[in-house]
Amino acid sequence: MDFDLVKARSLLYRNVRNFFDEKGYLEVETPILSPTLIPEPTIEDFATEFTNEFRASRQLYMVPSPEIFMKRILAEGSPSIYQISKCFRNAEQIGHLHNPEFTMLEYYTVGYDEKDSIALTEEMFCKTAIPGCPDGLKGGFEVVSMADALKKATGLDLEAIQDYATLRKQAVNLGLAIDPSVREGWDDTFNRIFVAFVEPALTGSRPVCLTGYPAQIECLAENDGMTKKRWELYWDGVEIANCYAEETDPLKVRDCFRKEYAALSAARSVSGSVIPDVDDKYWEIFRTFPKCSGVAIGMDRLLMTECKKKSIGDLILFPVSDIL
Amino acid sequence: MIKAGQIDKGTALLIKGQPFVCIDREFVNPGKGSAFVRLKLKSPSTGQVLAETMKSQDNAEDITVEDMDFQYQYNDGESFHFMNVDTFDDVPVPMTSFQDYQYIMKEGETYRCTVYNDEILDIQVPSKVVFTVAEAEDAIKGDTVTGATKYVTTETGLKVRVPIFIKQGEKIRINTETKEYLERVNS
Repeated sequence: MDFDLVKARSLLYRNVRNFFDEKGYLEVETPILSPTLIPEPTIEDFATEFTNEFRASRQLYMVPSPEIFMKRILAEGSPSIYQISKCFRNAEQIGHLHNPEFTMLEYYTVGYDEKDSIALTEEMFCKTAIPGCPDGLKGGFEVVSMADALKKATGLDLEAIQDYATLRKQAVNLGLAIDPSVREGWDDTFNRIFVAFVEPALTGSRPVCLTGYPAQIECLAENDGMTKKRWELYWDGVEIANCYAEETDPLKVRDCFRKEYAALSAARSVSGSVIPDVDDKYWEIFRTFPKCSGVAIGMDRLLMTECKKKSIGDLILFPVSDIL
Repeated sequence: MIKAGQIDKGTALLIKGQPFVCIDREFVNPGKGSAFVRLKLKSPSTGQVLAETMKSQDNAEDITVEDMDFQYQYNDGESFHFMNVDTFDDVPVPMTSFQDYQYIMKEGETYRCTVYNDEILDIQVPSKVVFTVAEAEDAIKGDTVTGATKYVTTETGLKVRVPIFIKQGEKIRINTETKEYLERVNS
């Protein structure tokens, strides 16, 4: 056990709490066990059961992110909030960037959009960095749009691949081996190109903020024409953060929930994995939900990068990879 | 058929009719996206390396391989020559496919190999191997700096950096992946 790394985590958390406390954010603590989840077809869930001799048992789920509760706090009229909490994602492959249990820093800034969150996050990274952190941070964040990154990595024009037939043809032209019998959505085929060509190019020592994700990749960020008001942060090739200008329209949230739940339950009734209960009234909280921007940061990955390590297993005490 | 998510280092696959062996794989979960795997695959017959990106749920054509013992004989500058220890057949393997092993394998030594259709797809070299120092420079007199090193050459021709106290004829253990000196072996 390397106690210098244990100290590094402790210092980073202290710095982060000081940063947000000084800015007047409220630190909140929300449950790990939840009776319902936000439907996300690409995240598999852990389910457990509350049992009591004298009551009916109740299925509970371990949250894959604290979003479901933090958004309820915001809808109640809170100021900007943050939380450092444990999150759980099932069925992901164990590797140098994945552990089924990991730590997330999530913060929501009332009145902000995703662009404001870039400046805030950059300031937070610079002010909370632990000693010995890679020099790349000194230059601040580099902001690159998905359209530009795609063009540079593949020559493709995001606007020109909006229809599925063209996208699929271009993916095959790029040499991707897609079985002709495979039927999949625009988002999956786009992600094949993204994973094969775009992401591997985001390896600079300076953190790269990749903005303007295609709107076809469903999420609770506001639309902006053919893209979403969303960015992800890559540092040294590692995906560390995800940010939205949060969707505030109750009906759009309701529609997104219904669409995502349909996709999730169709896929999982075949695979047999957990289909979580979903609160079909959750969208109603958005009647009082403020304009805000939320950022989620994988703290194990951030620490890994700041400590110049190659695996989050080096930073997590007792990682699951040790027992599998 | 197997799912791409099941492919591991060493898994043998058929790509457009040609056997390839997975030499590296990395899992990727793009935010709000399906699970993917990035693979590096090598053709043992040509040394060609392919990078493939697949969804973990995609099908891949795996092939049934056998593990068999072969004795390494010599190389002729183009191929390593192995002898099948059961049939005494000579099986050449292009050196370009396993350049890393040129100064690691010992003539006359038996290696476990992965075989498909009489073709050697993979040679299983132990991760730590003991070599004899064939050539060593003398340590410079009076050089007592802690951690000082020098280069020696093993009987297989591998040049490796070792502590200055290592002498010709001594045995040393080497990490065959990193080609780094691990320790002196007292015989």
